[in-house]
Amino acid sequence: MSKPHYDREHHVKKATGIGDPQCFKGEAPPAKFKVGDRVRIKDLPDLFYTRTQAYTRGAEATVSRLVYESPPAEDESWDNTENVEWFYSLVFDMTELWPDYHAAFAKDTVETEIPEHYLEAC
Amino acid sequence: MLPPIRQKVMRHLDIVGLIQPALHQQTHAPSPDMIDNAHFRAYTRSPHDVGGEPDIPITWEEKEEEVWEHNTFVTCEVLAWRGVWNAEERRRRQNVEVGQTQYLGLPYYGRWLLTAAKILVDKQFVTATELQDKVAEVRRRYE
Amino acid sequence: MSDDHDHEDEHLHPPAPMVDEVSEFEVLEIAVRELAIEKGLFTQEDHNQWTDYMHTLGPAPAARLVAKAWLDPEYKKLCVEDGVKASLDVNIDWVNTMPTKFGTPSDYCNLRVMEDTPTLKHVVVCTLCSCYPRPILGQSPEWYRTPNYRRRIVRWPRQVLAEFGLQLPEDVEIRVVDSNQKSRMIVLPVRPEGTEGWTEDQLAEIVTRDCLIGVAVPKPGITNNAKRPVRKAINPYKH
Repeated sequence: MSKPHYDREHHVKKATGIGDPQCFKGEAPPAKFKVGDRVRIKDLPDLFYTRTQAYTRGAEATVSRLVYESPPAEDESWDNTENVEWFYSLVFDMTELWPDYHAAFAKDTVETEIPEHYLEAC
Repeated sequence: MLPPIRQKVMRHLDIVGLIQPALHQQTHAPSPDMIDNAHFRAYTRSPHDVGGEPDIPITWEEKEEEVWEHNTFVTCEVLAWRGVWNAEERRRRQNVEVGQTQYLGLPYYGRWLLTAAKILVDKQFVTATELQDKVAEVRRRYE
Repeated sequence: MSDDHDHEDEHLHPPAPMVDEVSEFEVLEIAVRELAIEKGLFTQEDHNQWTDYMHTLGPAPAARLVAKAWLDPEYKKLCVEDGVKASLDVNIDWVNTMPTKFGTPSDYCNLRVMEDTPTLKHVVVCTLCSCYPRPILGQSPEWYRTPNYRRRIVRWPRQVLAEFGLQLPEDVEIRVVDSNQKSRMIVLPVRPEGTEGWTEDQLAEIVTRDCLIGVAVPKPGITNNAKRPVRKAINPYKH
């Protein structure tokens, strides 16, 4: 068995003077959602790695901003950077996430960022 | 009286027993019928994903940094600068692949350090024997 | 901006134990660094350069950004729209300041400035690790990295903030910002009363690291983080 070759230059070539995630700008297909849309987080299988927190799965949220384009963390973690998608900043009501959250503080929220393939319209 | 190395081994085994997470059920390679899908997910969870887990209040502390912690941080950044890994691979290895026991049991930069050592071996930049020899050689400098 | 590590704090935590042997962490750290250099993965010069870069970091530029935003509504708008561009005005270039010239690997290049209002208070966490805007805020505090803070703040924020000495009325929305991907966040707090006519320098002094994370709010006369126990290092790194 021969040793694999790791291309250690590819990211530095792409991102130098530009930055990351800026270096992936323009590579994603058109965004499926816009600010104000209501979305639900899919409970996709999360074997080995994910950055879509368990506490968000199945919950509904409102899109507050389209933040950037990037490969999803799940792919980039193995240096697979071909499939770039939009990332959305989403606002969840605390009462949506936590059934025991006190109604007196029903205005409280969580904001976090999730890539498009985890989202469905609701 | 056991030789010093055996004493060390026995103490190691004692400590390993003490740091097993409390799982409240027998977990010695169970048969498939004992692992339903909920348990499959619990066992294969990413240990970094802790948001919302119940816990009790603790004292909020600041902390001085050890020399090795500073150097570990810099080594990990520079390894990424020179393309040995990207930040996402690093976070997966440091925060998930170390497993639950090391994740909760070792210092923050202790996980970073083990992971930096492992990437060199995993990507075949050094052999495991080279790493072991180097560790032994560094240890001897302090004897 | 002053730090918590002054001598008055020493009574809050006992000194680290004296040990007469080198730790396995120290041995492994030296081994990994030397092997990486021997194999040509990076140079000692790379390592030194990064250490020098680390020495330039701290919360001062983020505090300065907030002070400028309080004084200039147009700049505040820029902060909220494009935190990376706004950082240039406090001499932080998220792409080119560091030796890589593509940003720091850990922190990426997408700063978001989360603007508080009288009815909205942000507080930042990374529940998955401890993502933190190091280029503009320095190294994260130990408590920010604990699983405890990360577990509880997204579910019991009012209790956790109360432990930090911050109690907020029910008509204020608390928004916990979970920094889980490539964005890094700082909080732009509401300018407090009693600061009318202050200069940018005066304003920047009351914007502490804790205010920028969101576990405290700025107050005239308060220029330090709350006093907390400081865990001593066995072999401390001198910054």
